[in-house]
Amino acid sequence: MTTIDTSKPIPDPAGPAEDNYLTHSSGIMSWLGTLDHKRIGVMYLVSILSAFFVAGMFALLIRTELMMPGEDFLTQDQYNIMFTLHGAIMVFLVIIPSVPASLGNFVLPIMLGAKDVAFPRLNLMSYYLWVIGAIFAVSSIFLGGVDTGWTLYVPYSTRTDAAMGGIIPVATAVFILGFSSIFTGLNFIVTIHRLRPPGMTWFKMPLFLWSIYATGILQVMATPVIGITVVLLMIERTFGLGIFDPSLGGDPVLFQHFFWFYSHPAVYIMILPAMGIVSELIAVHSHRHIFGYRFIAFSSVAIAIFSFLVWGHHMFLSAQSPLINVVFSAITFSVAIPSAVKVFNWLATLYKGSISLNTPMLYGLSFIFMFGIGGLTGLHLGTLATDIHLHDTYFVVAHFHYVMMGSALIGMLGGLHHWWPKMTGRMYTEFWGRIACGLIFVGFNVTFFTQFVLGSLGMPRRYQDYTGPGWSETTTALYHKYHFVSTMGSYIMALGFFITAAYLIHSLFRGRKAPANPWGGRSLEWQCSSPPPHDNFSSAPHVGDCYDFSVLEWDEQEQGYHWRTDLKHEPGEA
Amino acid sequence: MIRSGSIFGMPEQASTVAPMVDLVYDVITWISIFFFVGIVGVMVYFMIKYRRRSHVAYTEGPTHNTPLEVTWTIIPLILVIGIFYVGLQGYVHMTTPPENAYEIQVTAQRWFWTFNYPNGASETDVLHVPVGKPVKLIMRSDDVIHSLFIPAFRVKQDVVPGRRTQLWFEATREGDFDLFCTEYCGQQHSQMVGRVMVYDPDEFEVIIEESARWITEVPDEKLHLAGTQFYNQCASCHTLDGSKLIAPSFKETHDLFASGGTRKLADGSTVIVDEAYIRNSIMNPLDDVVDTYRSSMPPGIGTRLGERKVEAMVRFLMRLDETAPDGQLLAITRQELTKASEEPEGE
Repeated sequence: MTTIDTSKPIPDPAGPAEDNYLTHSSGIMSWLGTLDHKRIGVMYLVSILSAFFVAGMFALLIRTELMMPGEDFLTQDQYNIMFTLHGAIMVFLVIIPSVPASLGNFVLPIMLGAKDVAFPRLNLMSYYLWVIGAIFAVSSIFLGGVDTGWTLYVPYSTRTDAAMGGIIPVATAVFILGFSSIFTGLNFIVTIHRLRPPGMTWFKMPLFLWSIYATGILQVMATPVIGITVVLLMIERTFGLGIFDPSLGGDPVLFQHFFWFYSHPAVYIMILPAMGIVSELIAVHSHRHIFGYRFIAFSSVAIAIFSFLVWGHHMFLSAQSPLINVVFSAITFSVAIPSAVKVFNWLATLYKGSISLNTPMLYGLSFIFMFGIGGLTGLHLGTLATDIHLHDTYFVVAHFHYVMMGSALIGMLGGLHHWWPKMTGRMYTEFWGRIACGLIFVGFNVTFFTQFVLGSLGMPRRYQDYTGPGWSETTTALYHKYHFVSTMGSYIMALGFFITAAYLIHSLFRGRKAPANPWGGRSLEWQCSSPPPHDNFSSAPHVGDCYDFSVLEWDEQEQGYHWRTDLKHEPGEA
Repeated sequence: MIRSGSIFGMPEQASTVAPMVDLVYDVITWISIFFFVGIVGVMVYFMIKYRRRSHVAYTEGPTHNTPLEVTWTIIPLILVIGIFYVGLQGYVHMTTPPENAYEIQVTAQRWFWTFNYPNGASETDVLHVPVGKPVKLIMRSDDVIHSLFIPAFRVKQDVVPGRRTQLWFEATREGDFDLFCTEYCGQQHSQMVGRVMVYDPDEFEVIIEESARWITEVPDEKLHLAGTQFYNQCASCHTLDGSKLIAPSFKETHDLFASGGTRKLADGSTVIVDEAYIRNSIMNPLDDVVDTYRSSMPPGIGTRLGERKVEAMVRFLMRLDETAPDGQLLAITRQELTKASEEPEGE
């Protein structure tokens, strides 16, 4: 048993926190031109959260329009623009870059024990590509609008007599954002390969790094395909060169193959980093060694590989051959296995732990709950006989929101709360953190669980209305009940997000100063001060088993954990 | 009242495949519930039992257990192979139309459906089918991708321009069911909905016979009124009250016709709005695209309507002040239109 000796100065391996990355230099240019991965991570975070706010407001407008049957305040064209931009911004500007580019950028080099990423300038460039991409995407509103849905399906999108004029800026945005994503992925792959310090072997890396690594491979290998595809789309739309439009001699199904060859792996670009975060959250906040480290690590790689082989399950009804459908359905089920393995391992990690129900952990546990629903309803959609009925209905909408928002974004929020003290040096109000997490959890499930029922009852997606000349009154009344409840849920969720924004901003000014290690984490980022110094570590950190928490003890005075005083350690020793 | 096909909220069952699809759906849902309850149950149990009671930094416990991990890899694997197989069997059945299926040609356009029957009958947004007989829909699109979905039948298939796609079903009970477009196709996607009317086979024969015949029974002097019966094909783009959608309002065209006016075209030329112009715009919509509009009307509508219906439409437009007074479509039934033909003055 260890006793806390407060009379003795604590040998903090990070040293005194005088200079940190926030105070290292000042002035707006010291941020805009920074090569520090931490500052780039923070800039990404602010930008991504702003984009999330914009696309979230679009979502509220969509839900409000759908609350009652009939055209309430959005015309058909306005509604179509809203759902398109909601999807495009959430996918390309928020969820794909969210974890890797913001949190990953901040913690990856520190977790690894490196001073920065391998290519700091490329890192900054990827940020500015994101900004340029964002400008193009938003400018589409003023350049004719875009109403194709984020999927940009041809020939609708390439026919000038059909889709609105803003398609070219949006396609350009997708192209540019693709490069932003490729550069981030490439940077992280090289960083993990080349900048591991002595002692940091592959199997000593935190699982978050494994997931970011697997994500990086997907980003580098899949993203070029969407880049080429949108270029072909722009060529067809601008010059009338027949590639996809059958009236010009093209093939519209070819576009869907190209699109999903990227966009299915992109689903895993979104979810894998969040899974990595959850692995950290579950272990750290239950003070238990992660269960089945290698199974979790390899499951990330397995998911990355399988994700390249299942794109056709988005196209069961696209007129591709039935044989291909059967093959894609079969491979699709293989993705279920590594996903299930991860969930079981997380549960086993909780066993006999010391589970803290603080805000980051509540997000981690919410992830398991919602990923459970999102993953299991994937079975309904991967099964051919049932997908025919459920395809392009609200069932699909609910399913991918459970995965992309309920899992990927909730994981990101967990990571944000987990690393917030490290990034800002401030603690947020735990009470409001839990309240907001609860509201988001309840609101999310009310919003989207109802949509599973709505979808299996047949309500198609991307409908501005569910009443009109061809509609039966019974159907309208039936769908109305679920739409109404769903909209109410979205308001509860919005309240949770506004509270989150409020207490996080409040913490920047009034928050208690964060200790170096508030949660008792063992990975290297908890060994430097909060916020970290400019060069990440003032002395070489202890590399070791990043889930061996037995080397830590609680310090009442500091309100955090530190290295056990009865353990003598040489830097670099396990 | 709608009877659900499953306790998990499927719509009413009205086709031969629906019970099978619902069974697969229920089985997967039960398996999902089993796993979900297990996962969340264990999670909540651990959350309570092992909640943090002190600031202990470290807890002892197993870090791995290979037999256990292999077990929970293998069991889901076996289960999903089972699910895949069940889904595959259903799918093969659903995509293999019987030899003797009754064929209906379907054309999807923004934003309406046209159903053409072997006897020449043609209907817009209403699909008449017999109960207890396999029906095969052979579908084409004249513009962008659409998708035909009948929830009560559990069938859906994309309708892709440049190729024919098909689906089949066999309705099991009479009634009136929803038909949706489920591939986003632009502005009025949510109004590209229709009805499926299922009849007793004898009644079905009568219905489509009447559907093929009625237009020939409308006397010439009432032909302009017949346009009211299929104006819904035009309604998504051409209004009757002068308001603009993606194409010129019929009122504008009619007023120009009535005053002998001309119309400026997109290529800069002008054209006199006369009967020939109106007829040609239905038959060859790409010939004279009106200025400030884009050519979005697919050719082929005229051919599918047939000569008599085109004639009816031309007259409908020329006499719009009678057929749609004050921008409101005249309410008149097919019976009222054809009744006159039995009277002597209709000859």
